[in-house]
Parts: sequence; structure tokens; C-alpha cells
Amino acid sequence: MLEVLSPVPGNATGLAGVPDPVFSQGMVGPGTAVDPERAPQTAVAPIAGTIVKLHPHAFVIAGADGKGVLVHLGIDTVDLKGEGFETLAAEGDAVEAGAPLVRWNPAEVEQGGRSPAVPVVALDAPKDTVLDTVESGAVQAGATALFAWR
Amino acid sequence: MAERRVKVESEVGLHARPAALFVEAASKAPGEATVAKGDGAPVSAKSILAVMGLDVRHGDEITIRVDGEDADTVLDRLAEIAGAA
Repeated sequence: MLEVLSPVPGNATGLAGVPDPVFSQGMVGPGTAVDPERAPQTAVAPIAGTIVKLHPHAFVIAGADGKGVLVHLGIDTVDLKGEGFETLAAEGDAVEAGAPLVRWNPAEVEQGGRSPAVPVVALDAPKDTVLDTVESGAVQAGATALFAWR
Repeated sequence: MAERRVKVESEVGLHARPAALFVEAASKAPGEATVAKGDGAPVSAKSILAVMGLDVRHGDEITIRVDGEDADTVLDRLAEIAGAA
């Protein structure tokens, strides 16, 4: 069982709270989402593993058993082309859960007219393998479990 | 087996949205479906982790291969997703 931690501080909303059908309809995979605190912050690794992809606005960490977790920092933030985001690690790095990966400011993303919602998704996971999904309440980066992946 | 080479026109390459659509369409193939960047090593087109890991960017050429019945129908759909701006 893989415990997936919140990558950012804020409030859990569930994927239904993400204003993008690719995430809210679970097309990318099951999981949840966090409405992040509107302050400069560091997004962290939700699991221990290898950084498969590290974009300024999104990253994928694959655990030792090959399970990949996608974290997307805001919606349509790929359009920002890295502006306002600072990556703190590199693809291929081995990281612990909670390792700092990207500095960003959800308040700036929102001021730019985009949703700062942070979907956290279990890639290639059948729905029934994701358990104990947290869809409300305050969460802390690198500390609060968002879901368990069987 | 049917094969096609397509230039990826999506501005973001094969990432979140296009990748999700691509994998959803590939998963309809009853047999194997793979995608490779150019002449690189093929990965499963049914795995969103594998497809995102390929790091296909705007303007890259990909090679899609699909096995089994209706391979051409699946290929048409995959080529359409990859080729969509």
C-alpha cells in the first residue's frame, strides 16, 4: 500500500473540484485535488521515488514498484511557460516523500486568471485501487495523506 | 500490425490532456498498442505514465503501432489526437 501525501498546503477538494474535465472526470486517473493556500510555497514530492517528469507546472514521481503519481500545479499553467515557477530538483533524481520540488505562488496563478487547483493523480490506476481518498479539510504539504494506493 | 508516423501538433506535446485522450483511445485496442518518439524505443500507448515519460514535445514525430482487429480505426483516432493543434 502506497501512501500518497499532499504536495501542497491547503484544503482537499476531490477531483470533482477541478475546473478541467480531464481531471474532474478522472481521465488521467483516480486521486484527489487540493485548493492551495494563496501564498508563495514549495510543492513537495507526494511519495518517495524517482522524478520521471519535472516541468515547472507539473511533475510525475514513480515509486519503487513503478506506481506513478502526477501533481499538476494549477490548471492550464503550461501556458505560463515556467513564468513564476522555480524547479528545485532534476528529472532522474531519487527523492524522499516531502522533498522540495517546485517553488510557486498560487495567488499569482489566480491573479493571472487561472485556477491554482492542484490535482494529485494515480496514473494507470484502476479506480478500486485508490482508497481512503481525502476530499475535504485542511492538508499540509508532505504531512497529510491524500489517499492510499493498493 | 498497423503503423503510422505522425507529427505532434499539440502545443504542449503529449502531456496531461492530450496524453489522457491518447491513452484512453489506445486502451480501446484489443491487442498491443505502442508509441515511440521518432525511431526510439516503443512504450505502451495504454500507459499514461509511459506516454508522459516519453516527453513528446510539440513538433516531434511519433511512431504509433497497433495490433489486432480494428487496428486502423484505433490508429486513425490516435493520429487525430496527436495531430490536433
